[in-house]
Amino acid sequence: MKEDGRFKTNIPWLIFLTAIIVLPIIVRSNYIVSVMFFVAIYGMLSIGMGLLMGQAGLFSLAHPTWFGLGAYIPGILSARGIIPPLPGIFVGAICVALIAYIVGAPVLRLRGFYLACATFAIILIAQVVAAQLTNLTGGPEGLVGIPALSLGGFVFKTDLHFYYLSWAFCLGCYWFCSNLINSRIGCAMKSFHDSEVASQSIGVNVAKYKLQIFILTAVMASFAGSIFCFYLRFAVPDSFGFPLLVELLMMIIIGGVGHLRGPLTGTFVVLWLTELIHGYLGKIFPVMTNEVDAIFFGILIIIVLIFMPRGLTGWIDQLINLGRKLYDRFRGSTT
Amino acid sequence: MIASGDPRHKSGQSSSKVGVGSSLFEVIQLEKSFGGIRALCGVSLRLEKEGIVSIIGPNGAGKTTFINVTTGMYFPDEGDVYFQGQNITGLPAHMVAHLGISRTFQLEELFSSMTVLENAMVGCHTGSRTGMFAAGFRLRSAREEENRTRGEALENLRMVGLEHRAADDVNSLPLGERKMLGIARSLGVKPNLIMLDEPASGLAAHEIAKLGDLVQKLVENRLAVIIVEHNMPFVMSISKRVIVLDYGRKIADGSPDDVRADPGVIKAYLGEED
Repeated sequence: MKEDGRFKTNIPWLIFLTAIIVLPIIVRSNYIVSVMFFVAIYGMLSIGMGLLMGQAGLFSLAHPTWFGLGAYIPGILSARGIIPPLPGIFVGAICVALIAYIVGAPVLRLRGFYLACATFAIILIAQVVAAQLTNLTGGPEGLVGIPALSLGGFVFKTDLHFYYLSWAFCLGCYWFCSNLINSRIGCAMKSFHDSEVASQSIGVNVAKYKLQIFILTAVMASFAGSIFCFYLRFAVPDSFGFPLLVELLMMIIIGGVGHLRGPLTGTFVVLWLTELIHGYLGKIFPVMTNEVDAIFFGILIIIVLIFMPRGLTGWIDQLINLGRKLYDRFRGSTT
Repeated sequence: MIASGDPRHKSGQSSSKVGVGSSLFEVIQLEKSFGGIRALCGVSLRLEKEGIVSIIGPNGAGKTTFINVTTGMYFPDEGDVYFQGQNITGLPAHMVAHLGISRTFQLEELFSSMTVLENAMVGCHTGSRTGMFAAGFRLRSAREEENRTRGEALENLRMVGLEHRAADDVNSLPLGERKMLGIARSLGVKPNLIMLDEPASGLAAHEIAKLGDLVQKLVENRLAVIIVEHNMPFVMSISKRVIVLDYGRKIADGSPDDVRADPGVIKAYLGEED
């Protein structure tokens, strides 16, 4: 609730935007571009989860399911030639919004760990359904025959195309959510996180806003799922289950939820660390890369929780504040 | 946490509606029990217009329960609550706020992740209607409304004398200012009736004096104020009408002098002489 303009002139934001745009032009590495594509996709998920947990205080774990539905609905519709890929993405988003509404209305009456349990059940149910409805989803072997995504005459084929598409969506979501956080609705959300009774006492319809934010983040996850699905041209139930949830939680914890840039930073760090581990440790422990992965991230989370309880971004903010204070004191003592 | 549940209007109580239309706020035979404890048994109260009414009583007399039931935080077991001629019994708390009843809390319940100004701005929630899309896309309407809300919030802060702390973190406020911010926040609802839950508890003498001035100012702005308080000198000095609750029952209702002399009240506070 600070600035007036629609697009705040925000220098770090501009630098970041430019970096994202010119990165593929400078590095010209397919590998880096494809990892950054995944950063954007998972970023959309983690931003949504960060918004739910950090701002609204809703401990909802259903994100992998919205991601999966966002992948399967347009995937199935386009593989069967019912709806072409691009409109399918929006049909998928609408369906996810409806499902999130139907699920959220009763489930969001729960609080804290009860909400976590209920939403965790949603993941398990969705995964079983996706694996068992073999006729529709292709079962555990996966959904195949998904056509290429095209816009007008332009077909999204290369990693570079998907890189720009995913970052456009990701930054769009980021912009939308950060506006939201700083708005009347964001403040209402933070208010019921801080004190639900006080929030109601000043007329905030807590149930309504919980449901709205739940649906919004589900739709963001659905867009991410759709792009993911048309990138791989393939979908399996296993990509939308518990491991994805763990990865998302890891990103949020490591990045910090105090601000939206936390989850995005966390996503970047976790995905690149995974790549580095696979690249370097793979040579040392060739048969146990996944186990090493788990141990490494386990230790990292513990370290982050102990030394940076507000995540990497919270920690960096603290350091900057400290530096500023020291600088002021230094200047004070010299003059 | 207090559950807010669904809005259930009680039906078949039309007999108690007689003469309700004229008063600002009326509570009829309110009952509320928690398990075996009857927190409120048959409390009735009628407020004609703006002014200060204090509710006092020993600990556990049902004073805070009275506020919680009449503002929709709890459902009453029995009885009705009318506000400006409308039956608001069982309405959820946020609807009650929309209608123009606001309250403060014993433990302030400020929004600790926000600044002082933001707290006051959230208070003005009912006065704005920016939706999720307008807010997310930062449309002109959202920005204009935000500026207006900021103005109103600053006005409310000025009212309680906190405008100089607007940019500060809520957690840096001392207790007296926290209480004041609670009042500023609840003024954002633009209430006709405001209920203050122990506004003077823990305050120093000069802060209590300031609080008294503020309450007088609210009444001058045509607000009805219900004060739930333990601090007798404060209550007796500020209010023309005092209600005494004891074990959920109304045992006295009248001017401070009448109440002070009431044998039932003396008994409730000091115990009975053998």
